[in-house]
Amino acid sequence: MPFRSPDPAAPGTVHVLDDDADLGAAVARMLTRQGFVATAFDDPAALLAAYPGRAAHAVVTDVMMGEWNGFDFAERLRSLDAHVAILFMTAWPSTAHAVDSVRLHGGVDYLDKPIDEARLCASLREGVAWSTASRATARRLGDLSPRERQVFDLMVQGHGNKAMAGLLGLSPKTIEDHRAAVFQKTQTQSVAQLIALSR
Amino acid sequence: MTAPFSPPLIPRPAAPEAFDRLDPRVFWPRRQDWLALACYAVGFAVMHRLAAYWGGSGFYSLWFPAAGLRLALLWRLGARLTPAIALVEIAVDVTLTPAVLAGVPWTVAIWGIARPVLAYGVTVAAIGWLAERRGAALLTAPMPLGLALVLAPLTAVLSAVPQALTSPELTGVSGPREVIVSLAAFAVGDLLGTLFIAPPLLWIADAVSGRARWRWPLPSLLAAVETAGILGLGIGLARLLDQAELGMQPAPVLVAVAWIGLRFGRAAAWGALLVVVLRVLPDTAGAMDTPERLQRHLALATIVVAGYLAGSFADAQAAARAMLERRDRLLFQAERLKTLRAMSVAVIHEVSQPLSTLAIEARHLHRLTAGRGDEIADGAALIDRKAEHLATLIRRLRRFGGHAEGAPQPLALTALVDMVATLAQAEAREAGVALVIAPVDPAWQVMAQEVELAQAVMNLVRNAVQATQGDAAPDPVTLGVTADQGHAVIHVVNRAPARPVARDGMGIGTHVARAIVEAHGGTLTRTRGPDDMVHAALSLPLIETR
Repeated sequence: MPFRSPDPAAPGTVHVLDDDADLGAAVARMLTRQGFVATAFDDPAALLAAYPGRAAHAVVTDVMMGEWNGFDFAERLRSLDAHVAILFMTAWPSTAHAVDSVRLHGGVDYLDKPIDEARLCASLREGVAWSTASRATARRLGDLSPRERQVFDLMVQGHGNKAMAGLLGLSPKTIEDHRAAVFQKTQTQSVAQLIALSR
Repeated sequence: MTAPFSPPLIPRPAAPEAFDRLDPRVFWPRRQDWLALACYAVGFAVMHRLAAYWGGSGFYSLWFPAAGLRLALLWRLGARLTPAIALVEIAVDVTLTPAVLAGVPWTVAIWGIARPVLAYGVTVAAIGWLAERRGAALLTAPMPLGLALVLAPLTAVLSAVPQALTSPELTGVSGPREVIVSLAAFAVGDLLGTLFIAPPLLWIADAVSGRARWRWPLPSLLAAVETAGILGLGIGLARLLDQAELGMQPAPVLVAVAWIGLRFGRAAAWGALLVVVLRVLPDTAGAMDTPERLQRHLALATIVVAGYLAGSFADAQAAARAMLERRDRLLFQAERLKTLRAMSVAVIHEVSQPLSTLAIEARHLHRLTAGRGDEIADGAALIDRKAEHLATLIRRLRRFGGHAEGAPQPLALTALVDMVATLAQAEAREAGVALVIAPVDPAWQVMAQEVELAQAVMNLVRNAVQATQGDAAPDPVTLGVTADQGHAVIHVVNRAPARPVARDGMGIGTHVARAIVEAHGGTLTRTRGPDDMVHAALSLPLIETR
């Protein structure tokens, strides 16, 4: 199944995962009303299986789902899609989990149940925006050839043309060409913009 | 093994804290002390006179009940009254027997009167100070009192030794033998006085002031029979030895009262000793030569000291056993509470899941019907509001029920007070006590383990509510926070109950609160103001907030 990224023009696509199907559905409906394209799942395995065909900007997942742990699920999901925003929600909140969810698992937020609607929506918008930007960057950088990628990396480190020529063993003229290609493919005009992209 | 009747425990002398800060004004009698001092003057005069019947050359009396009165007063009102009592005794002595001033420089005479009082005061203060520090098995109540009753007379005698050795002529004795007789008589007279007079006076004082519940269950018949039998046997044996011309031997009676004391406690021991003393004292009053009287009284003192200390020890053991039982019950309760907590956490979790769904749907329904202005809209709004309220409640309850582990974190005092309010309001309402919560500055933060600190404040509020709930129209309990000089102070204020009532509580709420607060680097103080308001102040260092 080819990996299908969410349509950048479409509003935020969100998957909601909770082993309590009622809650999952309620959250999904609520998000739909808030303008997201939301789908509810009650089985982590089903979501992971379906994900490549319908990737999302963000996934809201429960932390404790039967034998599944929300953090393991997040790892698996992250390996499928590096650009998806993940939010955790839990009925057993703990400070340690809250810190882990953000630091180790790249979570956007960690919410305790009963869910605070306004906060969930705000965090999701942030997550969708991050995911969109992250995908766009990846796409633009993905068009670069290996050599161009090397030049890009050195440029964002602040090296001048001569220095890069020396480092890569190329003529300054060739470096000039690669440089132009980088700007063109990434649709940027300045090194500052490139640096912003590299982050 | 039960005490036939249980006198209240007198754990330690009153007001030992006065000596922590040495302010001379401490020694000045307070308003309520004057009446006690006046009564003391009268009682001292009467007993002093009475003691003269057992007098002798070189000493005042072999039976000095005034010493017991003095010790009881010191024990009850605190060693701080020592100077005042000394002045009373000087006044009484000089008025009744002006002869004390004759023949000696007046300073020496005055010092002679005041010295035993000072010795008593120092002993009481020292024992109070030691008992405060606990730890020693000998200082479990009522052992401190028992020790004071024995040690105060001995200290008084020791304090008399220098004068007796350097200038024996002042007390009218000559030669080492007479000095020893004089000092021994002094010790015996005071010992009999303290051990006989002080305990019943203190029991009566406690019973009258309601400081202790006076329980006087009828002694069990078996215990009474045993006590009487043993005592009768002891006295009979002593008489038998006497008739066999072996002299007055204290051993049989001593063993008997020690047995009674160990078996049935102080009160029974005291009763048995009373019987012994009433048999001995009339015989030794008046005309009897001093060596004979001294010997009888020495034997009596031996019996009394052994009997009373045995009784005190038995009572201390009983108290320690009662405390152990209480701890066992507490442990059991803690075990149950642990289960209860696990259950409540599970319940909170089970509730929070469907409540999430309910809250989301209720809000949606509320929005959908918002414009209708009819009953459905009102109903939906109400459901939404209630669901939101429940959701908030569940979040707070869960924070409180969560594991009390983890490092301290910055904690806004508003959040803490909110949490306590949520938990305490229901209890206060049930007790019919209003709980007034003052607004808290949201900028104030402390480093704290949230759940523990909430528990500490909760305990204080609960104590305050329980203290006032017995009143006819209970005043509200107030919870507020103030801050100054880098410290936040959480105040819990309630009116002191009109009648202190013994409650079911284990009385550990405050201990737990204090332990928690001290672990947080803070302090907990409780004061009772002149307006009868009890004020618990929990002080914690504030942390800088950005």
